[in-house]
Amino acid sequence: MNKEELTPHFEELKRELAGKVTDEQLWKELNTYLNEYRVSIDATKSGIKRKYGADPTIPFVSAESASKKVAELTGSEMRVDITAKVSFVRRKTITTSQGAKNVVEGTLGDETGTAPFTIWGGEDMELEAGKTYVFRNAYTKKWNEKIQVNIGSRGAVEKAESEVSIPEGVAGGPAEVKIGDLREGSGEVTVTGRLISLESRKVIARGEEKVVRSGTIADSTGKIQFSAWSDFGLKDGEAYKIKGAGIRVWKGILQLNLGDRCEVSRVADSFGEIDLSAPKKTVAEIMASGGGALDVSVSGTVVDLKNGSGLIMRCPRCNRSVLNDSCSEHGPVTPVMDLRMKLTLDDGTGAIGVVVGRADTEKLTGVTFAAAEGLAKARGDRECVGREFAQMMIMKRMTARGNVLCDDFGPQMTAASASLDEIDVHAEAKRLYDEVEAAL
Amino acid sequence: MNARETAWRLFSSELNGATYEIKAATEKAPSYIVTRLGAMVNRVLMAGVLTEKESVGSQDEPMWRGRVQDLAGGSFFINVGGRYQPEAAIAMDSLEPPAFVAVVGKVRSYTTDDGRVFVSVRPERIIKITEEVRAQWALDAAKSTWGRMLAMRKAAALGDGATEEALAKAGMPQREAQGIATALAQYGPPASAPHLKSIQTALRMVLPDDNIDLGLPEDMPDSPDEIVIEGKSDSEHKSEIEDIVLALLDELDTDGKGAPRDELERRAEAEGISSMELEEVSNALMDKGQVYEPNLRHLKRI
Repeated sequence: MNKEELTPHFEELKRELAGKVTDEQLWKELNTYLNEYRVSIDATKSGIKRKYGADPTIPFVSAESASKKVAELTGSEMRVDITAKVSFVRRKTITTSQGAKNVVEGTLGDETGTAPFTIWGGEDMELEAGKTYVFRNAYTKKWNEKIQVNIGSRGAVEKAESEVSIPEGVAGGPAEVKIGDLREGSGEVTVTGRLISLESRKVIARGEEKVVRSGTIADSTGKIQFSAWSDFGLKDGEAYKIKGAGIRVWKGILQLNLGDRCEVSRVADSFGEIDLSAPKKTVAEIMASGGGALDVSVSGTVVDLKNGSGLIMRCPRCNRSVLNDSCSEHGPVTPVMDLRMKLTLDDGTGAIGVVVGRADTEKLTGVTFAAAEGLAKARGDRECVGREFAQMMIMKRMTARGNVLCDDFGPQMTAASASLDEIDVHAEAKRLYDEVEAAL
Repeated sequence: MNARETAWRLFSSELNGATYEIKAATEKAPSYIVTRLGAMVNRVLMAGVLTEKESVGSQDEPMWRGRVQDLAGGSFFINVGGRYQPEAAIAMDSLEPPAFVAVVGKVRSYTTDDGRVFVSVRPERIIKITEEVRAQWALDAAKSTWGRMLAMRKAAALGDGATEEALAKAGMPQREAQGIATALAQYGPPASAPHLKSIQTALRMVLPDDNIDLGLPEDMPDSPDEIVIEGKSDSEHKSEIEDIVLALLDELDTDGKGAPRDELERRAEAEGISSMELEEVSNALMDKGQVYEPNLRHLKRI
């Protein structure tokens, strides 16, 4: 066996004998067992493990491999036959310490469960998703609490005589989760929903240009942003079932990550009318769920107006607000004037920063951009607009809708829309009176 | 995370009746005044009538004291210092009592030698409002008071079992659980009558034609503890603070450069002198020519 073929075995032994043997020693042992004494790979591995004391309870395995169901795999099989259906498969080049290697990897499963598999040195193998195969002389490992099936040089993959099917939601498969129930740490999930927005952009990842598709997917319980690193043939407005998506959190906002191993299939759209209005949240609720939120609306009282409200200057190239005609990105520029407000909204459960753009600032204050500019000119003071806005806005009740991000300074919303609230003081006071009286 | 502290809507009687403070453990951590209904207050949002104001600063360093009466009948006491609250100081300068105002500010407590606790508000923002906005606020404060009374009632029913952990486990948000458990431990179960009285008074103002009656005795005072604005015309108290500050200046001036401000502030706070008062007293002493500032960070006796 050459070094390349030995790599997966070497890696496995190294992991199991963590720290008990140096790399150099391990390579030497493998060479001695296999090339000098010409024992089989399984006996070699078993012998080395026992010699360096990986786990004294490992039984002496028989030379014959046993057949197992996916759910029966323990992660320490050294020779096992598995008859399973391949639900996903692709070729991949992975980089190991011995250089680039071509492997075939995918997901296999039977009626008891699913597991990822890797075929080392199997570049010539033609596996088809949806077909059933017998994975002979496989060895298994445990990685991140998941069993992985490997086919090394002594292993083989053959077409099976009978078909195996993988029922929905078998153990080991990603759990089927409603979008509204997704949480940080949900692990791999299966989500079914309708694409309600889609865009693609080019990014440079590890020196390679890649197209990333991102957007929003919704079901009847909620919506979530996603990003996809492969072309799954996604189309806006269509419904998809996404198997094996990951969850990550960016500034408190949950996102669905469609990795390469994801299985995406178009399904019939049975969602009907999906409610796409922004759910109403209190600041405390947003903080309790991580401090970020996708498209929510928050109602409260304006308690402060921050510096940088009123007439501001922006870089004509990147739109950043600039001070002293100098952009932090583009250096000296001739800035353009804009109107905005940075409000603090407090709903009694907490406070949130809200940035309101020009159109909504005009609507909320009743002061147009032109009027603000005129006022600044008349007074010879651009800052006066912000001070006027503070007088107008503090103590106003308003509702703002948008995405909330969370950083060290707490939750911040960039308002997609904002409006003043009408309060019927008499009706609400009567409601409170009735409630208090009834409770006494 | 340094998320901004929420602004509590509460009537002045609840705030002024608080005597317990959770002091900041570290320099940047916030302090909280805990009310008898379990509000953990660092910041308040209040509205009412500015009934009086008094300038206690100088041309260069404007400072104001004032009193804002809420719709439930009690008053908030405010201290506006120019250096840290420029917006509020400018607003205060132009306001003429009586005026409808709203105030957002941080709370401060001060304990006298005989153990009485005064709570005041250091406004960050003071703005003129309409009578209607005042009514809106009073309704908010009444709702929020009622919410705390209900939560307190539930917690008090647990007796000694009303710990922060138990309340949080029962579904109460962490901050609320902490406030209520602290209040019960410090004050015991609260009397509901004074708070109901505040709600009733506020509702009567908002709904003058609705015969609001929560069945409370009519001769109950609106605000049980009438409080004099702290230190006002209390020259004795002031000269006492001056003596303490002068003694501290002597003690802290170890190298002849004067007493470091931050150290002075810490020691004064330990003596029960708020930074606001220290500011005032230092100004008074400078006016009298007894101390001077060799630089912005030191204060030195002449």
